[in-house]
Amino acid sequence: MTDSTIETPRARSMPKTSDLVGTGILALVGLVAVLMGFGYGFIGDNGQIGPGFMPVLTGAFILVASLAEIGRLFLAPKDGSTAGLGGVAEELSAEAAAAQAAARSELGHDADGQGSGAQDADEERDVFGRTAKQRNRTVPLVFAIILGAVLLTQVLGMLLSLALMMFVIVFLIEKKPLVPSLLTSLAVLAAAYLIFAVMLGVPLPQGMLGIL
Amino acid sequence: MIDNLMLGLETAVSPENLLWCAIGVVLGTVIGMMPGLGSATGVAILLPVTLTMEPVTALIMLAGIYYGSQYGASTSSILISTPGDSSSVVLTLDGYQMARKGRAGAALAISAIASFIAAIISLIVMLAIAAPIASWALNFGPPETLAIILLGMATIVTFAGENMLRGIIMAAVGLLLSMIGIASGFTTARFTFGSVELLSGLEFVAVMIGIFALGEVLHQIQRGGEKPIRAGFRDLLLKKDEAKRIPGPALRGTFLGTALGVLPGAGATLASFMSYGLEGRVGRHRKELGTGAVEGVAAPEASNNAAANASFIPTLALGIPGSGTTAILLGAFVIFGLQPGPMLFEQQPDLVWGLLVSFFFGNLLLLVLNLPLAPVFAQVLRVPYSYLYPIIIVLSLVGAYAVGNSLFAVWVVFFAGVLGFFMKKYDFPAAPLVLGLVLGPMLERTLVQTSSMGHGNLLIVFERPLSAFFMVVAILAFVVPPLWTAIQGRRQKVQTQKASVDA
Repeated sequence: MTDSTIETPRARSMPKTSDLVGTGILALVGLVAVLMGFGYGFIGDNGQIGPGFMPVLTGAFILVASLAEIGRLFLAPKDGSTAGLGGVAEELSAEAAAAQAAARSELGHDADGQGSGAQDADEERDVFGRTAKQRNRTVPLVFAIILGAVLLTQVLGMLLSLALMMFVIVFLIEKKPLVPSLLTSLAVLAAAYLIFAVMLGVPLPQGMLGIL
Repeated sequence: MIDNLMLGLETAVSPENLLWCAIGVVLGTVIGMMPGLGSATGVAILLPVTLTMEPVTALIMLAGIYYGSQYGASTSSILISTPGDSSSVVLTLDGYQMARKGRAGAALAISAIASFIAAIISLIVMLAIAAPIASWALNFGPPETLAIILLGMATIVTFAGENMLRGIIMAAVGLLLSMIGIASGFTTARFTFGSVELLSGLEFVAVMIGIFALGEVLHQIQRGGEKPIRAGFRDLLLKKDEAKRIPGPALRGTFLGTALGVLPGAGATLASFMSYGLEGRVGRHRKELGTGAVEGVAAPEASNNAAANASFIPTLALGIPGSGTTAILLGAFVIFGLQPGPMLFEQQPDLVWGLLVSFFFGNLLLLVLNLPLAPVFAQVLRVPYSYLYPIIIVLSLVGAYAVGNSLFAVWVVFFAGVLGFFMKKYDFPAAPLVLGLVLGPMLERTLVQTSSMGHGNLLIVFERPLSAFFMVVAILAFVVPPLWTAIQGRRQKVQTQKASVDA
């Protein structure tokens, strides 16, 4: 709710396809909820509300608000937010975003000793040492690794598969040296074992290996 | 009142509770300081660790994380111009400017002092009015409760962010998620799609961990972190002139923050924005705002701390959370078998008063820690995020398993994480979703009861004076802000056109 809010472009432009698709999916979810809600029974036999009442109402809210949002994406004038704080929060958010951006570009100069002005914005590296393109690739990769770790829980057990996940992320994704990656993963494994298995007595799944 | 305070004091000063309160505020400070990790994330990740504690001890620690993070979040705003939490966004304006002028230490001190003033005053307000509100709420019937829940939802949607439509969508999505499983008051299974695990509904904490921990962390990777700068701490002592300028804005911020925090649904972020805006209108040094003014640090800091504390009033007294984090804390109450609301003050006085009194010790400790040790805490900003975020992911997944005691909860975290990531990426606010998720079952229960009272006629909420009043306020909270924005927009447009014609 912090930075993403304040980085929203304010100038009028054609809405992004991803915005439209995302909001469209939400509208669809609303529609499905309405239809399923009617299936559960909007009004009961006794004339009182039925189990479908809330789903229908909520689904209708999602559907209408999503369609209105899609309309807003197309029609919004410059500075066309629909918020209700009398403009104070929006103005300050924008001001804070500008201040942060200014600080960041200054830091780029100071910390690296190289001007960011000469570089394309996409080529600026963050603290991870990644460019914007690499950052976009990293997120699905990390999600895939987490997915793999959860699936491997059935085989290796929870703690071992999560420690392996930690190692893969630190060593392969973050490209940290082998020994620190290994040591941090082992330390996290030990800490998680102590906290959850020993202190809290949680029977964590041990998988087919049955070790931890 | 005195009896209750003594009872609370007795509970709060037990060595175990004091220790966990201290651990909570220190963890809160550290978590609040880290960009991308807010109080909601901290409470969600650490909730599972408190499972074997006494409920009062666990809640004292979790609350400590909440208000401790308000102190920590300001440090990163001041030192690296990156807010640790949304409630500290405003501090990147004057706080960072002070740091650039070599007054980083002073800015941190002002922030800590203003926070402490606010915390103590709002605590006194809380001690004075929480119990009367709770006993007043004991007389509420289903229509009044229904109306007040709708008021809470309306305020959170209105104040959620810059786009109210997205707030509405998210609140409704939260409600929809809360409906998964067997309907409360009915026997029908909804949205389970044949899954046995979904019959008992989604594990609330798992959803929260997914959205606030996994989603936040991955969003942070995509945004790219900021490089920390070295700010000088040569001058930790305040100049006389700076010290004199703290009380006025701190008090104004405190009162505004407390008033907004008491409103169900409005939280610390809004309070900090509004108090900064107020300083811009009434402050003696308003022209200096934005250039590193003491008022620009003291007012929003006081305000967000006051609001964070005051948001416990609707949470404890009415069972309606005042912010995203108190919504997660409400989930913690439920895990410990407690139901926040008017009855809690009668059934668990030692817990309620012990928790409230612990705020005093927690804030005192935070002041002591933050004044001389702020530079030490600031070193946290240098912990490489590359090591930190995988640790958060591991803790989140194991923690979710510990709460739900099933691998299904881990899957919930994963999918909620994907949802949370896209919500952050496309600027859909999380607070309304959390409130919808928490209040969904209560809302449906009161709807069923109201429907039953009115023999199918829900309009009886307008026939009883109190519920009618709450409903009217809720409708106004929902309708007036967008209308006001539209009118302002039109006025601006007319002025711009006039100016261009004149030119």
